[in-house]
Amino acid sequence: MILNIDNLSFSYDKSPLLSDLSVTAEKGGIICLLGPNGSGKTTLLDCVLGFHRNYSGSITVCGKDVLSLSRPELAKLVSYVPQLHTPAFPYTVREVVLMGRTARSGLLGAPKKDDYEICDSSIARIGIERFSERAYTELSGGERKLVLLARAIAQNAPLIVLDEPTSSLDFRNELLFLEILTDLVRKDSISVLMATHTLQHPLYFESEGIDSKVVMLCKDRPARTGTPGGLITPETLYEVYGVHAEVAEIHTDSGKTVKTVAVSGIDNK
Amino acid sequence: MQKAKTAGSLSLPVRALLIILPFAAVFISLFFGRYHLSLSEVVFSLIKPQSVSDAARVAVIHLRLPRAIASAFVGASLAVSGAAFQSVFRNPLVNSGILGVSNGAGFGACVAIVFFGGGVFTYIFSFAFAVSAVLLSYFAGRISRVTTSITMILGGVIVGTFFSALVSIMKYVADPYSQLPSITFWFMGSFASVNYSHLFAAIPMGVGMLLIFLSRWKLNVLSMGEREAASLGVDVRKCQVLIIGGATLCTAAAVCISGTIGWVGLVIPHIGRMITGNSNQKLIPVSISLGACFMVLVDLLSRTLTGSEIPVGILCALVGTPFFVYLLKKTKGGFAT
Repeated sequence: MILNIDNLSFSYDKSPLLSDLSVTAEKGGIICLLGPNGSGKTTLLDCVLGFHRNYSGSITVCGKDVLSLSRPELAKLVSYVPQLHTPAFPYTVREVVLMGRTARSGLLGAPKKDDYEICDSSIARIGIERFSERAYTELSGGERKLVLLARAIAQNAPLIVLDEPTSSLDFRNELLFLEILTDLVRKDSISVLMATHTLQHPLYFESEGIDSKVVMLCKDRPARTGTPGGLITPETLYEVYGVHAEVAEIHTDSGKTVKTVAVSGIDNK
Repeated sequence: MQKAKTAGSLSLPVRALLIILPFAAVFISLFFGRYHLSLSEVVFSLIKPQSVSDAARVAVIHLRLPRAIASAFVGASLAVSGAAFQSVFRNPLVNSGILGVSNGAGFGACVAIVFFGGGVFTYIFSFAFAVSAVLLSYFAGRISRVTTSITMILGGVIVGTFFSALVSIMKYVADPYSQLPSITFWFMGSFASVNYSHLFAAIPMGVGMLLIFLSRWKLNVLSMGEREAASLGVDVRKCQVLIIGGATLCTAAAVCISGTIGWVGLVIPHIGRMITGNSNQKLIPVSISLGACFMVLVDLLSRTLTGSEIPVGILCALVGTPFFVYLLKKTKGGFAT
């Protein structure tokens, strides 16, 4: 077991935001966090990343309690793909990916030769060699996301945490990102915890045959945990989002069965 | 994998050049001044002092050399702490005085001049108040529960303003015929009174530069934001204290022997960015070397251009600004993309 969240409760003030949440991710498994804005997706990620420390319950990664780990120790177990932002200085793509190796050098250390080699192989793994010497700030949103993913690969942690990784990506880039992520999970047995607004993401992972789970967060109600197909149903979508929707199965030419969500209206109550 | 080895850091010839250049600048500065010296006089006063005339020896060993060494250290310190602050605060507009160092030191100098007759007290007080100003700024920035680089910059600006008000009070009460001119000259910045006893300030500057130099890789990561740096495995608080502490040792010691010199800590790092790119692995050594060379040469100009000294703080801006504009035009800027 890579990630084990056990009975997690967290609140910013008196009213609990997360209560008694339990979920686990195996090696090569994906957990997708779904839920409306403000339902606690990013808060949950922040607990796993060690930014929120005053929760009850426990979070362990590879058997180690997140709260007991130092920053470098945690960074060796959990890598993070943040939401897009523009850094103050235009580092080259290679310099940004190299930052993934930071946890491996001491307080006053700098990357060494093998760190550069791992950095270059991560760049090659994601297939972004063609812009590795360009300034990160000059890239498009889709390209930047790939750079951040390459950085997370260079970090070489068993668990990757992603916060809405495909927001602001176009149709094709979104699929490209998901395909690369799927490939990493399949071939390198990386585990993934991602927050997303797109219901199609967990359905996609499931149709690709990956061990995938959904945690459906909902304000003022306990979270539900299940498989994508089992949890993304018209009933739960109505309860959690207040949206009337139907779930259809489509058989593609390539022989896959893909589920997809069709929306018919919003409940305004 | 040859490429993998070299791409992150500076190549060997460039490293050698960065080390040689400041020494060359110091050596060159020994030749110029009101007392004319030949090559052999300069060289012999350095390697065999008893073989040259007293006048030559005094000019080279006791006047020009300590002054050149001091200006090299001050230039390097201001440039490297400016570069470090720019990354820590994720802001290319920040300079070495951002945490109130200059005004704090200025107030210390005023107190020493007005109440203790200046002299050695000027150095002690300006150093002490420079350090206190930074501590105040740091904690003012940390009072707010949401600490970002912006709150810390804000802390620096507020503390700086506070000390500048105190400076005004001191100017107001100072004797206008003896003390006020000293205060005014102190604020213009000068190396005119430097001798070997001032080089004790090289110790904190050296320690500070070493701390920043050793943290240069972390500066890159910190400049991505505190959250991201932490998720990449940086102990953000520890790193910030090391770097801000180092930069404070640098700037406080620099300002206490030279007075306020503003331009170097902002623009030398940017000239470095234009030459070498933004990675602090290269930028930090380049800033140290460039800052040292620049300050030695500007001080050389300040004591040779006219019959009397021109305060070096004034010349820095006068010489540096056109040079910066020229570089900006040639390279389209190091950070603006």
